[in-house]
Amino acid sequence: MNISYNWLKWYIPEAPEAEKLVDIFNYHLCEVESLEKKSDGDIIFDIKVLPNRAHDLLSHQGVARELASLLNIKFVDPTPKYKIPESKLTNLKIEIESDKCRRYMGRIIRNVKVGPSPEWVVKHLESVGQRSINNMVDAANIVMFDCGQPTHVFDLDKVSEKLVARMAKDSEKMTTLDNKDCKLETSHLVIADAKNVLAVAGIKGGKIAEVNNDTKNIILEVANFDPTSVRKTAQALNIVTDAKKRFENDLSPELGSYAMLEFSALILEMCPLASFEDVVDVYPKKQEVKKLSFSVDKISKILGVGISIDEIKNILKKYNFEYSEDRGSFEITVPPMRLDLVIEEDMAEEVGRILGYDKVKGNIPKINFKPKVNETYSKILWARHKLLNDGYSEVMNTSFSNKGEVSVLASASDKNFLRTNLSDGLKESVKLNQANAPLLGVEQAKVFEIGTVFKKSGEEMHIAFGNKKEVKEMTLNEFCKEISEQNSSALLQPSAGTFRQQNSAPIFKMWSLFPFIARDMAVWVGEDVKSSKVEKIIKENMGEVVVRGPELFDEFKKDGKISYAFRLVFQSYERTLTDQEVNDIMTKITNKIKENNGWQVR
Amino acid sequence: MSNEENEKKLDSGTIHPLSLLAQEALQVFSDMGFEIATGPELESEWYNFDVLNVPKDHPARDMQDTFFIKDSQEKNFSRLLQPSAGTFHEKNSSPASLVLRTHTTSVTARAIEQAGKEGRIPAAFISIGKVFRNEATDATHEMQFYQIDGAMVGENISVADMKGVLTQFYKKMLGEEVVIEFRPSFFPFTEPSLEVFAKFKGKWLEMGGSGMLHPNVLRNIGLDPKKVQGFAFGHGLDRIAMIKWGISDVRFFYQGDLRLNQF
Repeated sequence: MNISYNWLKWYIPEAPEAEKLVDIFNYHLCEVESLEKKSDGDIIFDIKVLPNRAHDLLSHQGVARELASLLNIKFVDPTPKYKIPESKLTNLKIEIESDKCRRYMGRIIRNVKVGPSPEWVVKHLESVGQRSINNMVDAANIVMFDCGQPTHVFDLDKVSEKLVARMAKDSEKMTTLDNKDCKLETSHLVIADAKNVLAVAGIKGGKIAEVNNDTKNIILEVANFDPTSVRKTAQALNIVTDAKKRFENDLSPELGSYAMLEFSALILEMCPLASFEDVVDVYPKKQEVKKLSFSVDKISKILGVGISIDEIKNILKKYNFEYSEDRGSFEITVPPMRLDLVIEEDMAEEVGRILGYDKVKGNIPKINFKPKVNETYSKILWARHKLLNDGYSEVMNTSFSNKGEVSVLASASDKNFLRTNLSDGLKESVKLNQANAPLLGVEQAKVFEIGTVFKKSGEEMHIAFGNKKEVKEMTLNEFCKEISEQNSSALLQPSAGTFRQQNSAPIFKMWSLFPFIARDMAVWVGEDVKSSKVEKIIKENMGEVVVRGPELFDEFKKDGKISYAFRLVFQSYERTLTDQEVNDIMTKITNKIKENNGWQVR
Repeated sequence: MSNEENEKKLDSGTIHPLSLLAQEALQVFSDMGFEIATGPELESEWYNFDVLNVPKDHPARDMQDTFFIKDSQEKNFSRLLQPSAGTFHEKNSSPASLVLRTHTTSVTARAIEQAGKEGRIPAAFISIGKVFRNEATDATHEMQFYQIDGAMVGENISVADMKGVLTQFYKKMLGEEVVIEFRPSFFPFTEPSLEVFAKFKGKWLEMGGSGMLHPNVLRNIGLDPKKVQGFAFGHGLDRIAMIKWGISDVRFFYQGDLRLNQF
């Protein structure tokens, strides 16, 4: 959600500077994903409002109110500045036929003039990434980004008789404002007049009662809809709007009264000659006033830090919560917008985040619990250890396959099945690593995987291991059969460090994406010459493009002489090496070696 | 180095970095008194979602995010499920669909439920396992990855205890100089919910979610939230490995290329 710093300042003129606000958001409210400085001096925060606060924080007022409480600074209530001239009696008819519409407020305003918006409106909309359309649409958008309540405007003269919130009829159709044809179902809540569907409730307006430049008289809609219904309908119709995002997160129906006031006042500012009729407010079941009880002891116990009664009172005062307290037991009246506060634990979160979780000091608890040995894990460890000792290296392949016995309903990839064996994947791994054998410093690639396979009969933990000649696969239990025959101490878990390679790398080194060239060189020297002496000469002359070696892979003595065989692997990170340049390097090394008396290169 | 040692080193295979890290991680938690738990990758909707207080119409349950198993209702695929502590509860979840688990929090839930039945509370469990998300892959997203998930429940287990445990864990994983902090977050299964950050090489990095188990979750696994409380966390093992060793692409873990096994 984009939040404009200048817009926030309407409500909290004492707000600290933007950089400071970033930390306040991050540590006490929600993550700031980015901060953008605009050329006009405004600063835009992109904040990731948490789902449990989407009821009240998807708006500038909501965020400003929260910050005012958090920082204990003044919140400027805008209500007194919105004054509507005395309204006239109305004959607007509104009916609610489904409990999925929880409140519907409508107001007729006559004699409006559709046209461009004042400059501040255009700027405000631009600051949160919205384009100005005309003054009517803009007013509706300002109200939504300001107080969080989505609204709508109908052209009164295109509405037949009345407005009804009802379920759509089977195969009823509507064309949206952006010319998309929707085929509605009986589970979709709509706003209709006596003849046609005018809007998909809470999601998108329709063409029939669209406001255009000729519009003279309008109906303002400020309504509240069931969140699940809005989400499902929008999903079925594949429409995503800012209104839908707010309704699906559940808004308080109580927000409507303020939103109607602000909406009306904005229209008045844009059209001073407009004439206002009374608000028709159909609100069948008023939102219940909720109480929430909690104790200072429970909150301290959850957070693991001593919280005082005064600290909690101080928070409740800053947040303007009505409360009573008796020896550390509190009861608060939950503000209607704070639909997230339901249980005692919610207040622990409230207290924790407001005070800041840095108040909580870490402690490693001692509990009276005797862990059992996990047999599956012990077997996996034993099997892995055995295979590593036998020279097999470990891979992990994908669980997905293009054939199998169990499949998934939908996948982001082209592989819709789950693997029935590890061998197919392992054979590919053998091939890949056999080709890289010189790079890996092995004669032949020996590979294993321990993992789950999925069959009609269920999932099984398997082990597969092998080389280019053969790959064997069995269940983990089969592989571990010999454990039971051995001393049961084999099941004892070896310490983790056992597996770490000697000289293990501190950080990952990416491999070169260019081909490598491997060369061997055998050198005959006097029996008393150490291999390190030969190695040194090779190193000094092999240049910069050796990624592996010189590695001594063979040595034997004969007739008072000794042969050392070294392997060198050449590879560049920047280009493909040619045979010729590697030959040149080998020749150079050969010549250097021959300079030593009695040394020969084979 | 003698020849014998040299040979031995050449002869033994190399371990996958995620296995190495998983073993070290489990060791750290074992040392703190946690029991290692394992569980099925093919999971019931009940354990993957319902038990964890994820509402029926929650966006996480959309097919775009979760792999649902085809025909799991028609073909009575529920027999695919390994016998578990939760069979009693499964009847509450209808219809019984199967998913590829989206987190190993399901393993934690099963383990605590079982411990409760055996009268083994307080308890602490740690599990590491493969999880699945139906999303397009790139350098930081994979359809499969490993999660490390842990929980501790008891009469007085608090956020402070979680901070102590996670601090110890990240010090062992990333180095003694590491510090961690909590920031506000939201998950259906925890209240309060917290995001864990670790300061590594001068930078605050997001490690994963955590919080105090929601009373509904405790009730769903047969515990009385008036008597016990506890913390839970679920972090990405792949992410820890990438940070620890500077591995730039999560897809390297699942390509079967032994050049990855450098540690």
